[in-house]
Amino acid sequence: MDPRAPSVNASGSTPGAPSSDDPSELARRRFLVNVLRLSGGALVMLAGVPGAEGSEPHAAGKGAGEGYDWNEHRYAYLIDTQRCIGCGSCVRACAAENEVPDGFFRTWIERYVVGMEDSHVDSPNGGKDGFPPIQVGFVATKHFFVPKMCNHCKETPCIQVCPVGASYRTRDGVVMVDGERCIGCAYCVQACPYGSRFINPVSHTAEKCTWCYHRITKGLKPACVEVCPTGTRQFGNMKREDDPVRQAIEHDRVAILQGHLLTEPQCFYLNLDREVR
Amino acid sequence: MEHARHVFRALLVLVVIMVAISLGRGFLIPRSFGVHGPYRFDNVAEQMAVRPPQHGGVASCAECHAAKAEKRAAGSHKTVSCETCHGVLTLHVTAGKRSAEMPIDRSFTLCARCHRKILGRPERFPQVVLEQHLHDQGASGPVQGQVCLDCHDAHSPKL
Repeated sequence: MDPRAPSVNASGSTPGAPSSDDPSELARRRFLVNVLRLSGGALVMLAGVPGAEGSEPHAAGKGAGEGYDWNEHRYAYLIDTQRCIGCGSCVRACAAENEVPDGFFRTWIERYVVGMEDSHVDSPNGGKDGFPPIQVGFVATKHFFVPKMCNHCKETPCIQVCPVGASYRTRDGVVMVDGERCIGCAYCVQACPYGSRFINPVSHTAEKCTWCYHRITKGLKPACVEVCPTGTRQFGNMKREDDPVRQAIEHDRVAILQGHLLTEPQCFYLNLDREVR
Repeated sequence: MEHARHVFRALLVLVVIMVAISLGRGFLIPRSFGVHGPYRFDNVAEQMAVRPPQHGGVASCAECHAAKAEKRAAGSHKTVSCETCHGVLTLHVTAGKRSAEMPIDRSFTLCARCHRKILGRPERFPQVVLEQHLHDQGASGPVQGQVCLDCHDAHSPKL
């Protein structure tokens, strides 16, 4: 029987150990090894260079700007609904600070009028012009305002669905959109359970609250917190132990919106009613 | 070697594909993508510098208007930032220089946004039924033409 027969057929089970001095057997083995190496290399290349993060772990690890270290901050937001008077200053301030187009909102206020039989929720122009007096057709037993905004979730649905890597969360805990990468597909607008994203009618890219990243990285408060006349809105750094917001989150009864979705929102609410979603 | 030509042909195709992929990656993937995760890290710096802060805060107003700031700090509007009523600093000051007259809203709607009695506002917060208040004060005419600031000083509103 021809000893080369099994290698020519390449039908699988070669009886006995392949003879190492057979030249064609060696060539085939070398070829298989090379194919494995090449395909492995191609996989690594497709998956991205593994050394990009590992080789220089703290290249620019302090964050992107001069004099600002993003490892020293982990931001959180606290909203005390019992203090809100529905003046809409935050909505106006946000629009002025961030050039938010008319009819779109990075933050807004909702009014809840709740009775035993019925409830009513309104938010005329996001509360930007304040709230008008209203009459409701039922006996209102409680009524309150609830400011809403991006919750800057730790486990965000909006980042998960972004097909181009335009949405991301910074190490200091802010969810932002890279307008240069965004293709305006609006998947994130649909994915957000809080309705806090929109497509900018001018740039046609997704836009959202950034907690005024251009302010907080300079040590300023977000514009909405800056102008809030009643202290409803507070902004804090969870990495500072004496921070009032951290203290409140640690020691008071705080609630989050839509906790069952497990998005881990970083906006915390004091005195939230069950009627609020 | 003759019988292995098909292998080299396949290898050549593989090499061409790999070169195309690596060149394509170089062109399509931005420089800082993946440094801290699957996003363009340069955007963090861009967001930090997206525009200069528009709100300056009370301290920046007090640099020129110290007397007004002191009056405000002593009155019941001490928690209200100047820019809550007046608007953003950049309407009035740009690049550290006075650039325009600050627009001042003297209409009753400015005060009514916070102090008109409506459903939603916490009971403890000072608020008035406008029509009742004006009637009590002996004012005449509709609410629309009234100016709260005729009687109240916005910087220290308690009479």
